[in-house]
Amino acid sequence: MAYLGRILHGFKTLLTGLRITGRESMRKPVTLTYPHVEPKLTGAYRSAIKLIRFEEMDSHDCVACLACEQICPSFCIKIDGGKIEGIKKKRATLFEMDFALCSLCGLCIDVCPTDTLEYSRLYDEAGYDRDWNMDLLEEFRDFEPTFIEQQREREEKEAAAKAAKKAAAAKAKAEADAKKAAEAEKAGGDAPKSGDAPKSGEAPKSGDAPKSGEGSAS
Amino acid sequence: MKTPNPIDLAPASAPEDEMYYLNMGPQHPSMHGVLRLLLKLHGEEIITAEPVIGYAHRAHEKMAENRSYIMFLPNTSRVDYLSGMIYNLAYCEAMEKILDIEVPERAQYIRTIANELNRISSHLLWFGTFLLDLGGVTPFLYCFDDREEILEVLDRVTGSRLTYSYGRFGGVTMDVDDAFLDGARAVLKRIRERIPMYLSLVHDNVIFRERCDGVGVMTGDLLRKYGITGPPLRAAGVAYDVRRAEPYGIYDRFDFEIPTRTAGDCMARFEVRVDEMEQSCRIVEQAIEGLPEGPIMPGRMKKRFKPPKGEFYFAVESARGHFGMYIVSDGTDNPSRIKLRTPSFSNLSSMPEVLRGTFVADTIAIVGSIDVVLPEIDR
Repeated sequence: MAYLGRILHGFKTLLTGLRITGRESMRKPVTLTYPHVEPKLTGAYRSAIKLIRFEEMDSHDCVACLACEQICPSFCIKIDGGKIEGIKKKRATLFEMDFALCSLCGLCIDVCPTDTLEYSRLYDEAGYDRDWNMDLLEEFRDFEPTFIEQQREREEKEAAAKAAKKAAAAKAKAEADAKKAAEAEKAGGDAPKSGDAPKSGEAPKSGDAPKSGEGSAS
Repeated sequence: MKTPNPIDLAPASAPEDEMYYLNMGPQHPSMHGVLRLLLKLHGEEIITAEPVIGYAHRAHEKMAENRSYIMFLPNTSRVDYLSGMIYNLAYCEAMEKILDIEVPERAQYIRTIANELNRISSHLLWFGTFLLDLGGVTPFLYCFDDREEILEVLDRVTGSRLTYSYGRFGGVTMDVDDAFLDGARAVLKRIRERIPMYLSLVHDNVIFRERCDGVGVMTGDLLRKYGITGPPLRAAGVAYDVRRAEPYGIYDRFDFEIPTRTAGDCMARFEVRVDEMEQSCRIVEQAIEGLPEGPIMPGRMKKRFKPPKGEFYFAVESARGHFGMYIVSDGTDNPSRIKLRTPSFSNLSSMPEVLRGTFVADTIAIVGSIDVVLPEIDR
C-alpha cells in the first residue's frame, strides 16, 4: 500500500513539475542574441578608461602626475610628460594603457586629481596582439599645438587678471594698513602702557608690535 | 572514544585488487570548477576520497605582499567570484577597522544592500547548479533568469557583473540612484514570488527527496573538527552566523532570522539556503527603507594608507560561511601578509570523512550541497 502511495505521490510531483514548466514555456524568451542585438549598457558600465575632453579647454586635463600609474594594480598604465615649453601647466605626452592587463577596478579614475579619466563605453573591442596598447592621447594629438597656444593665452590672461587682483589687493591692504596705523596713533596713549609692563618672557613680542606700528606710520 | 571508521563498511573480504580508482574531475561535468576527487572504490562504494586542489591557484595571498593595501582591492572579488561583493566589501571593512576610518551612513546601507543581493545571487546559482547536478535541468534555467535580474541591478551601480571592485576604503565608488532602488525592489518582489515556485518544483519531488534525504549527514564532532561554517553548519542545528555572532557593518540594525535545520543532510542544507534567500530579501527591504541621504565617501580617495604595526583579524559571513581576513601590518604601506580564511576550504576538507562509505552517485549531491567554489579554495 505504501509502495502504491509512493508511486502516486511520484506522479503528483511529476505533474506539478510539468505544470510549472508548461506555464513558464509560455513566457517570452529572455535570451539576448548578442551579436544581432545591441546590448543595453548601464550608466555605470565599465570598459577601458579614456581621457575626458573638457569643454572649457577643448582637451583633456592630464598633468602627468602618475597617480594612476602608481596605483594601478595591474601595472597597465604608462605615462610620460611634464613641463611643456611656454606654458605653466604640465601635460602628458604619452598615455598608454594595456587593456589586455586591465582589471577594470577603477582605482585610476578615483585617484585622478584632475578628474580627467572615465570609463569608455566600448563593448565589442578585440585585441589582435599580446599587448593591447591603447593610445589614449590619439584623439588629442592633432589639437595639442593649438591647445598649448590657447593655454598660453589663457595663462597670460590669468596672470594679468591675477596681477590686477594682486595690485587691487595690495592697494586695499595699504589703505587698510594706513587706516589701522591712524587708529593706532589715535589710541597712542594706551599702547605704550601695555608695552611698558611686559612679563619678562613676552617682552620681545609685545615690544616688537609698537615698533612695527611706528614703522608703517612713518 | 574511537570514532567508527566507515572504511569497515567495505566488505572485510574485499581484496585490494578489487578496489579501483576513479578520478572525479577536474573535467567532470558535474564536478564544481576544477575540483578533482580521487575516489577509491569498491564497486559503487567509496572507500576513500581525497580532494586534490590547487588547479586554480593564482597566489592571491602572495600578490598582496608585493603591492600596497589599496592595490589588493580588485583581487578580493576574484577570490570567490560568486560572492565577490561580499569579499570586496569585507576587505574594505577590515581596512577601515584597522585605519579607523568612519564610513558614511549612506555607504553602509548601500553596502548592506549590495552584500545581500550578492548573497541571493550566489545562492540562486548554487540552487540551479545543485539541481543540475542531481539531474534537473529546468530549475537551472529559471534560476539563471532570476539571477540575471540581480546582476543587472548590481551592474547598474557597480558597472560589472561578477568582479565588482565596488568598495573603497571609507565608502563605495558610485552612488545609487532611484532606478537602482526601484530595480532592487522589483528583484525582491520577483524572488519572493519565485521561491515558492522553486520549492513546489523540486522540494517534494520524489527523485530529489530520494537523493537528498539522509544523504551526507554532517553533524556533531565533525563540524567542530573541520571548522565547518555557513549553511552546512546551520543545517546541523548550530545557529552560527557572523552577521549575528559578531555583527559588522550595520547588521545589528536589521531584523532577520538565522534559519537552521537539525538533520545536517543535503536536504537540510538545501532548505537552509532557500530560507536564507528569504532572509536576505528582508534585510535588503529594510536597508532600502532606511537608506539615508548623504555622502558615500568621507572625502577624496587617498593614494597611500599606512596602518599601524600589528596583526588584525576581521570576519564576515559570506554566502558559503565564515570568511576571515588576517592582515599583518609592518607599518609600511604594503601588507606584510594577508591570510584569507575561506569557508569552502574548511567545508571541503571534511569531504574525505563524509564521503567514506557513501556511493558514487551521492558524491555529486554531497559535494554540491556544501557549495564549494574552487577559486576560493585555491586562491
